[in-house]
Amino acid sequence: MLDRRDFIKAQAVAAAAAAGGLSLPAAAQSSLVAGEDATLKWSKAPCRFCGTGCGVMVATKDNRVVATHGDMQAEVNRGLNCVKGYFLSKILYGQDRLTQPLLRMRDGQYHKEGEFQPVSWDRAFDEMARQWKRVIKEKGPDAVGMFGSGQWTIWEGYAASKLMRGGFRTNNLDPNARHCMASAAVAFIRTFGMDEPMGCYDDFENADAFVLWGSNMAEMHPILWTRITDRRLAHNHVKVAVLSTFEHRSFELADIPMIFTPGTDLAILNYIANHIIQTGRVNREFVEKHCNFRLGQTDIGYGLRPESVLEVRAANAKDPTDSKPIDFDAFAKFVSTYTLDYTAELTGVPKERLEALAELYADPKVKVMSLWTMGFNQHVRGVWANHMAYNIHLLTGKISEPGNGPFSLTGQPSACGTAREVGTFAHRLPADMQVTNPTHRAHTEEAWKLPKDLLPAKIGYHAVQQDRMLKDGKLNAYWIMVNNNLQAAPNSGNETYPGYRNPDNFIVVSDAYPTVTASAADLILPAAMWVEKEGAYGNAERRTHFWHQLVTAPGEARSDLWQLMEFSKRFTTDEVWPAAVLDANPSYRGKTLFDVLYRNGTVDRFPVSEIDPDYANDESRAFGFYVQKGLFEEYADFGRGHGHDLAPFDRYHQVRGLRWPVVDGKETRWRYREGHDPFVKAGEQVRFYGNPDGKANVFAFPYEPPAEVPDREFDLWLVTGRVLEHWHSGSMTMRVPELYKAMPMALVFMHPDDAKARGLRRGSEVKVVSRRGEMITRVETRGRNKPPRGVVFVPWFDSARLINKCTLDATDPISKQTDFKKCAARIVAV
Amino acid sequence: MRPHHLAALAALPFLVPAVLSAQNANQGGPPLRLDSPFRPPLNFVEQNPAPPIPPDVTDDRRVARNYPEQPPVIPHNVRDYQITLNNNQCLTCHSRRFTEAVQAPMVSITHYVDREGQTLGAVSPRRYFCMQCHVPQTTAQPIVPNMFKDLDTLVSRPSDRGDRP
Amino acid sequence: MRARIPVSVKTAWRTFSSPSRTFSLGFLTLGGFIAGVVFWGGFNTALEATNREAFCIGCHEMQANPYEELKQTIHFTNRSGVRATCPDCHVPHQWTDKIARKMQASKEVWGKIFGTIDTRDKFVAKRRELAEHEWARLKANNSLECRNCHSADSMDITKQGARAARIHEQYLFTGERTCIDCHKGIAHRLPDMHGVPPGWSEVSDTPQKPIGHWLADGRGEGR
Repeated sequence: MLDRRDFIKAQAVAAAAAAGGLSLPAAAQSSLVAGEDATLKWSKAPCRFCGTGCGVMVATKDNRVVATHGDMQAEVNRGLNCVKGYFLSKILYGQDRLTQPLLRMRDGQYHKEGEFQPVSWDRAFDEMARQWKRVIKEKGPDAVGMFGSGQWTIWEGYAASKLMRGGFRTNNLDPNARHCMASAAVAFIRTFGMDEPMGCYDDFENADAFVLWGSNMAEMHPILWTRITDRRLAHNHVKVAVLSTFEHRSFELADIPMIFTPGTDLAILNYIANHIIQTGRVNREFVEKHCNFRLGQTDIGYGLRPESVLEVRAANAKDPTDSKPIDFDAFAKFVSTYTLDYTAELTGVPKERLEALAELYADPKVKVMSLWTMGFNQHVRGVWANHMAYNIHLLTGKISEPGNGPFSLTGQPSACGTAREVGTFAHRLPADMQVTNPTHRAHTEEAWKLPKDLLPAKIGYHAVQQDRMLKDGKLNAYWIMVNNNLQAAPNSGNETYPGYRNPDNFIVVSDAYPTVTASAADLILPAAMWVEKEGAYGNAERRTHFWHQLVTAPGEARSDLWQLMEFSKRFTTDEVWPAAVLDANPSYRGKTLFDVLYRNGTVDRFPVSEIDPDYANDESRAFGFYVQKGLFEEYADFGRGHGHDLAPFDRYHQVRGLRWPVVDGKETRWRYREGHDPFVKAGEQVRFYGNPDGKANVFAFPYEPPAEVPDREFDLWLVTGRVLEHWHSGSMTMRVPELYKAMPMALVFMHPDDAKARGLRRGSEVKVVSRRGEMITRVETRGRNKPPRGVVFVPWFDSARLINKCTLDATDPISKQTDFKKCAARIVAV
Repeated sequence: MRPHHLAALAALPFLVPAVLSAQNANQGGPPLRLDSPFRPPLNFVEQNPAPPIPPDVTDDRRVARNYPEQPPVIPHNVRDYQITLNNNQCLTCHSRRFTEAVQAPMVSITHYVDREGQTLGAVSPRRYFCMQCHVPQTTAQPIVPNMFKDLDTLVSRPSDRGDRP
Repeated sequence: MRARIPVSVKTAWRTFSSPSRTFSLGFLTLGGFIAGVVFWGGFNTALEATNREAFCIGCHEMQANPYEELKQTIHFTNRSGVRATCPDCHVPHQWTDKIARKMQASKEVWGKIFGTIDTRDKFVAKRRELAEHEWARLKANNSLECRNCHSADSMDITKQGARAARIHEQYLFTGERTCIDCHKGIAHRLPDMHGVPPGWSEVSDTPQKPIGHWLADGRGEGR
């Protein structure tokens, strides 16, 4: 007979087999060595998660992903992945994958308060098109909007941009990248006239010092952290400085650790500029040849609703972007008030550490790389912080050369490739062009083969504004793709959720999983994800990286690209374009948006026969032409010849990504530097050619306080962020059992003395309460994050504990990016 | 009783609902009403009480990997382990020279390879922070099951019961 | 040197060293005894006062560094709430050892006055030296302060992890090693551990170059 142990084992096997949905083999007979049936098909792809852009190898068998590992040939990661990356195989297989469109219905009809019921794609698009047409007819094109993502593939973002701007004629298109790196993108353009970093990851192997400005790379960019660790541990002279408002894992490698009072990083940056000037270490020649100086607008408000007292009180809230030219001496005088004493007092950082940090920049022999993510970008003065970082690199000339450079990291896999380069922001067009610029619009109309004066000139609603307009009933038909904004948006209980459930509005969510955002939608569309479609991402170092479709999406799930293009078939130009435009261009009459946007002779010029026969391509088969290639080539033409050059489509399927500009088949590692960048002529040495005069702008800005600071009632700083094991809202990683078990819930990390002072201890159930809302969780006093007294940290990955009900919807007034790092809260026992 | 018979029996409670739902999905007619596709029951407005912080699994038993390239999870307590510029406490057991004394598994040979593909005499510095890839597990039970199938599951098939020549 | 001693001091010494002319032997004996009791009581009270954690962390250096680090560890936060205070581990319980340790502490007073570790960075830069003192002391007394609470005789190894139980059997119960050999850094962060092999190591470790601390630059070894 069997003993108890055998029984349990047998039961476990059966349970596992049943969960896997397979019939049981009569006995476990499979050979222990690989036979014919154990051969795998390995293909390359970029990782699905962050902006690092690691290469992975994906093994498929019987139309399923069975293994993944770090790609040895990928330059970014050379065989390594982080824990999330190693579990990529499992993100496709959460049991609750959405496989059918779900519509809220009552009595067989769509009803705002109905229950979700499965419907066909036809039925789903019928209802959706009916709502879109109703809204456009009643309120005009600016009452429809779309919230996309830096997780869209390049062609998905491009197709969406065409549909919204060229089809529906509105710029109400914004990516969730607005929450992520809008401040960085805006500051790049204001400083250099062109977006994205001048350097690349090769700087890691060349720098002598690394400074992390509000970035916990050890958890958020683990593979780039391995490159810093490698450099630091193998070279004794290398130093790492880590700045944050609380101690986290990156401090484990810090030679110069710094905890500063939230918001005062601005003062530290100005102090460093002052230190460089006072100690006579300004690179005079570089500054004279390559820099302009400007004095920026101050007292610019906090991007809250205009009636907020903070906006009314701010002198320049209406005009935050203004600046005027000054000279070097005026700049030097401006930063001279940021003395060591003043800065140490304001920031709470010991003087010797401030000096040690400033010396890394000032010492001409030290090659220094500055790195930042959300600490800088999610900041009510995020654009300023970015500018100030450029200031210290420009003053010393430590820029655009191996090992020397400011480097803005990104959080999403295609924040650069899609959100920024394609231009899915409310103010942008492809290749850094702007919707407000008539020449740029005309150029775009020509490239898209659209009638003149069709594209709208008005900047659309940005992310936070979209939520406000949904709530106020001014935005009524809304499509959310590849993101989970009800979990991600600030002050969501007051500013996001009401808009979704506003009876005037029809909300559509396309996702692979039933997220909290999907739960508040009216129509849910099941999406194909990652290697279920052919895709392309662009990472933080300008690397464009392609992958093939490797498996089929489950059930009726379809890629966002298919959804966008298929939906466009339901509109004719007569329904959505003004009569004047059609009168002047009668040949466009009676055509569908699909015809004018995608069957325009450019997008549809490559036949399906050009698809690699080894791989499937569901969208191209559906539409009858090589969709991805057509969209990419039309898009790539925007940037070719002036610094955004992309290689031909097919090349990207052969390589592990290439860093643009790609000229004569060669990628560019350091832009703006002669010898590295083909757009800098011989003898020019350095040219910031994004600006007409070839010079970069150094901006003078002061320290200004955050929008909300702790007081007697709400006595703690609340900082939010991510953890290693989960990516963003956790919709994928929380469905991987190993990652779930490693970090199953969002805790509030606090100092043990702060807990003690409130009668709490590790494990106490508490409410995190702010002026906006509250959330229930447990106290962690000895976790990986160690806040100083007065600061608490809560991650936002947990859909059962939504910390963004507490955060403040204050944004940087210039970039419109939310400050998720600074608001006031209190912690009380439940 | 042979183990596989028992296994089939034990599987019954799992298989039955699966079969039922498959039947439902196959039926034509009016669309089914879905109570809620959202797991955990997601409701933006409601506040969930916070469950206790689950303890770590520290039974020191190895967990099978989903595929050979997967980093194994950590089956033991790592509280207060210090991995800093000063010290790496994991390597005081798992590096080659200490494994005999403590009977800990040695870090994989891949960890000796640097970025250039050269095999070094000790663990490569790029692999220094162990917990970027290896994580402990708590006793928390995932709310959503994962339907990933490993290769062995995919290729295993019923035996023909015949002896191999 | 001699010439510099002030006249007043010389006078006082002369008075103090001369036999008494005015007090009776009885008074002096009894008075001496009472004075002795008062002095001894005062001394012991003072000694006890300096053995309390509150005294230890009365100094900013101790409060902000070792004590702050202790709070994260199992010797501060644990299941039963029984926690170690600074003197539990760092002050010997035997009177003679205690006095010896107190005499050593005079150096720490010196350090306090001259600010040897009055910033975090100075403390970190000196951490290896400070830690080595404690390791050496605990090694020399066979981890006495550990054993005040953790008695090897009272250990139920079936309640320990299999690996821990085996190592305790092999090294601890045989007396081959003492607690501190393996359990360094259990209550505070560790210094640069280059050249410090773990207690279970049979290999004699060749000292390696330390990673170095930026404050210690130019001082060679940078411990």
